[in-house]
Amino acid sequence: MGGFKKVYPFPAIVGQEEMKRGLLLNAINPKLSGVLIRGEKGTAKSTAVRALAALLPEIEVVADCVYGCDPDDITSMCVQCRQRLISGEELPRTRRKMRVVDLPVSATEDRVVGTLDIEKAIKKGEKHFEPGVLAQANRGILYVDEVNLLDDHIVDVLLDSAAMGVNTVEREGVSFTHPANFILTGTMNPEEGELRPQLLDRFGLCVNITGITDPALRVEVVKRRNAYEEDAETFVRQWEAEEEKLRRQIVAAKALLPAVQASDEILFLIAGVAVEMGVDGHRADLVMMKAAKTTAALRGRQEVSEDDVRGSADLALIHRMRRKPFQDLEMDREKLHGVIRGTGHGRSRGQTRTHGNVHRL
Amino acid sequence: MLSKKINMVDHQRFTFPFTAITGQEKMKKGLLLNAVNPRLGGILVRGEKGTAKSTTVRALAALLPEIEVAAGCPFSCDPGDFTRLCHLCRGRLSAGRKLEKIRRRVQVIDLPVSATEDRVVGSLDFEYAVKYGRPRFEPGLLARANRGIIYVDEINLLDDHIVDVLLDAAAMGVNVVEREGISYYHPAEFILVGTMNPEEGDLRPQLLDRFGLCVQVEGVTDPAERVEIVRRREAFDTDPLSFIAAWSKEEELFRERVPAARGLLPAVAVSPELLDMIAGLSLEAFVAGHRADIIMAAAARTIAAWNGRTEVIEADVCEAAELVLFHRIREAPPPPPEQPEPPQEEEEEPPEEQEKEDSNQEPSEQPEEMPPPEPQDTEPAEQEQQQEQDRSTLPPAAPQDVVFAVGQPFPVKRISHNRDRLLRKGSGRRSRTKTASKAGRYVRSTMQRKYNDPAFDATMRAAAPHQAHRQRDGVAIAIEPCDIREKVREKRIGNFLLFVVDASGSMGAQQRMVETKGAILSLLLDAYQKRDRIGMVAFKGNTAEILLPPTSSVEMAHKLLEELPTGGRTPLSAGLIKAYEVAKTHLYKDPNISPLLILVSDGKGNVSMGDDKPLVESRRAAEIIRDEERIKTLVVDVEKEGFLNFGLARELAVVLGAEYYKIGELKADTLVQAVKGLSDY
Repeated sequence: MGGFKKVYPFPAIVGQEEMKRGLLLNAINPKLSGVLIRGEKGTAKSTAVRALAALLPEIEVVADCVYGCDPDDITSMCVQCRQRLISGEELPRTRRKMRVVDLPVSATEDRVVGTLDIEKAIKKGEKHFEPGVLAQANRGILYVDEVNLLDDHIVDVLLDSAAMGVNTVEREGVSFTHPANFILTGTMNPEEGELRPQLLDRFGLCVNITGITDPALRVEVVKRRNAYEEDAETFVRQWEAEEEKLRRQIVAAKALLPAVQASDEILFLIAGVAVEMGVDGHRADLVMMKAAKTTAALRGRQEVSEDDVRGSADLALIHRMRRKPFQDLEMDREKLHGVIRGTGHGRSRGQTRTHGNVHRL
Repeated sequence: MLSKKINMVDHQRFTFPFTAITGQEKMKKGLLLNAVNPRLGGILVRGEKGTAKSTTVRALAALLPEIEVAAGCPFSCDPGDFTRLCHLCRGRLSAGRKLEKIRRRVQVIDLPVSATEDRVVGSLDFEYAVKYGRPRFEPGLLARANRGIIYVDEINLLDDHIVDVLLDAAAMGVNVVEREGISYYHPAEFILVGTMNPEEGDLRPQLLDRFGLCVQVEGVTDPAERVEIVRRREAFDTDPLSFIAAWSKEEELFRERVPAARGLLPAVAVSPELLDMIAGLSLEAFVAGHRADIIMAAAARTIAAWNGRTEVIEADVCEAAELVLFHRIREAPPPPPEQPEPPQEEEEEPPEEQEKEDSNQEPSEQPEEMPPPEPQDTEPAEQEQQQEQDRSTLPPAAPQDVVFAVGQPFPVKRISHNRDRLLRKGSGRRSRTKTASKAGRYVRSTMQRKYNDPAFDATMRAAAPHQAHRQRDGVAIAIEPCDIREKVREKRIGNFLLFVVDASGSMGAQQRMVETKGAILSLLLDAYQKRDRIGMVAFKGNTAEILLPPTSSVEMAHKLLEELPTGGRTPLSAGLIKAYEVAKTHLYKDPNISPLLILVSDGKGNVSMGDDKPLVESRRAAEIIRDEERIKTLVVDVEKEGFLNFGLARELAVVLGAEYYKIGELKADTLVQAVKGLSDY
């Protein structure tokens, strides 16, 4: 993000714990496949996503590959890298930060999926593929502000590639396939229309946020924002320590994640919750489990606890519950906690997590 | 060690193994049957999101049998079948050369929804043209898919133009190309496999009928099975190579079973009794034509072969019937809510029951002050509760106002303008249109130059053959103005639906409001799928008000609809004028989208804005609307049939020049074909 101004630091965002949690979990575990942030105007949605960029961990990539393939994972490589590897070549490595790639609402289809490289065609009379936004976003975050305003046919394209993590291009004379594993992150204001259910389901997690109602916190928001506007450099420096702490936490959690185990009990708890809450399909179960594992990793544990499930189930469920037509995206937390309690080993509700505002999801 | 693992899995993508997929037996069976017998005509998998639809289809690729193909043939011709050779192979044979045989697995070709026509049908090979100055055909997806499978994920989102091309080729088994100075044809026999989520809208009937089989998938509800799904998926995500290796034995078993069944298939016989049974099943299902019978018999034979038998038994036919008839049944008992209705084209079902029920009630003319009947005895119980809540939370609009529940929604026939040649901008799915903004989907190219929106690929191809005799200053391709092609983009534009709802006291009588709300809800559901913009004007008491300014938030409209109170007199003219203003404003803002005004009323206006009689005034208002040609109107009459019919809404519809429907007709699914020249695909 080589912007002119330093980005607003992530830890300096007041409140909105759920949103921050959703973003952090994704930074740790890209397999969660993104988060959708729904909320009214002026609730730091975009700020938070941009701030996340500064926290993202470094990844290992093939140095000269446009798609930033992982040199250690043959299953997700582009065809070229795979061939090089099979032919015995040592792939050049480098480390770089995970990227946040913006997908503007006005993007055209050819820029999104990629198209014919016109320069090469004219100069050399050869046909080459010019990668688009999806190629850049491979192994990074694809961020769509106002995702509900995205043109319909662009959404179709996103659905197509998000499903399998592969972008297949058959257009404008080019035929090409490349990996497109991206973390889909979107923000939207529901007043301007909802998302299509199919696209909704592609977001691993979803949070609903509202403005903060506590006057003291509101004052704090304004104060910090003012300080940042006046002297971004200083402000960012003040928060550097906090940011660094968070960054280390992410790296540690990422390292711990592969070792995190979920017991059968936990798996049954998750399945029970999914059935009880009435969700479509099985993606909810998978995401719930991945989110619970990631939460455990973030909390520094190797065993998923019931509390980890509780702390992440809502994010995975809210947009997947079967609704009557046009019903609002709402979540019955009481029911959720009831279900978790009922299926698990009866804990009192007083012990459930306390952070987060008490607003309707 | 890594390379050893790679050898174990030789396919290009590392997909989740077919045999490791839990449950979804019907879908798996349907796919396997197609792998065994390519004549089954493909399969359509419909189902909610996250039910392993795409995963299963992609996994199938690994189980497909090997076939013999002519080496070097871009169309994978069968060297053993002289009737179906492409002309390249035929030329080779007649030149006295032999067709070299190689074996390779049947391929699954992905057709992405963003595909353009040139890549689907094939086009000029421009690299070759530049080098040698001669045109040459460059095969497209249809060529690669010959004797293989074309897979379209989210097939209901595929562009209509591409669908036409697919249907054309599928019907003839041949792809005919006449474009860009190329004249070519080649065999294109493929199995079409599609997956879709019906929430996003349904398929065109023609396309639906192309699919031999169709299955509906749902999530598994058994917790133990759900756990197993999560466990396997997680294992695969953590270490795909080991997971694939662990399942390789199972995969191998299935892989052997497919060619075995293939070999057995020609020997499988169907007894005459079972053929009778097949015909009987088709008749019972009221299917159109004979395709169902033929495919059912073929499917039953394939099932028998899969089970290693040479004799078809009754169970095979039953299993086949489920797969074949699902999307072909035309008159079924009311489908369960989960199951979307199959298209019912030729049916006409007069709304008899409805009217019978009503005819023995009193005539609907009632004094406006009469309190509306208690809505408690309206149909859906859960909605009642909601309505109770609504009533308690709402500020009372007028003392006698009542909020009615929303009636049951029902599927609505397509409302659509014709595809036109006008240029429009907008985003939505109701009407297809050419668009001048550079935002639509690029489907094909044209020689007409208007919008400075060049199609570079097409331009290159146009220029390529001429390069031999052109001055090239250091570039490989010299382009002259005559080569330039422009993109033809297509985009569906949503309509603007403006609901003008009568909320007066008379609407409260006899559950009219409940039905009305049901009707509007149905139109809203339809509007959602088509990405329409909507607005809502309601009139009651003395005034009309804009409940919902034009928006694409269908949810908002629904909420307002739920909360809409009923009561008071009927200021019809005020409602019409208000609607006219809203429509006009919208036209200023967006002249490309013609508003569709939907008036839901019994037409009995009894309040006027000026000195004229209410009816005279509303007629005048209707004339004003009629005179604005860009506003289309549709009148939904809610007057009940009785001794006394005023037919005022019908009269109003005549003045408006509007399409006219009784609310019962809407419910009977006859149609809501709105404006003239409705398209119907």
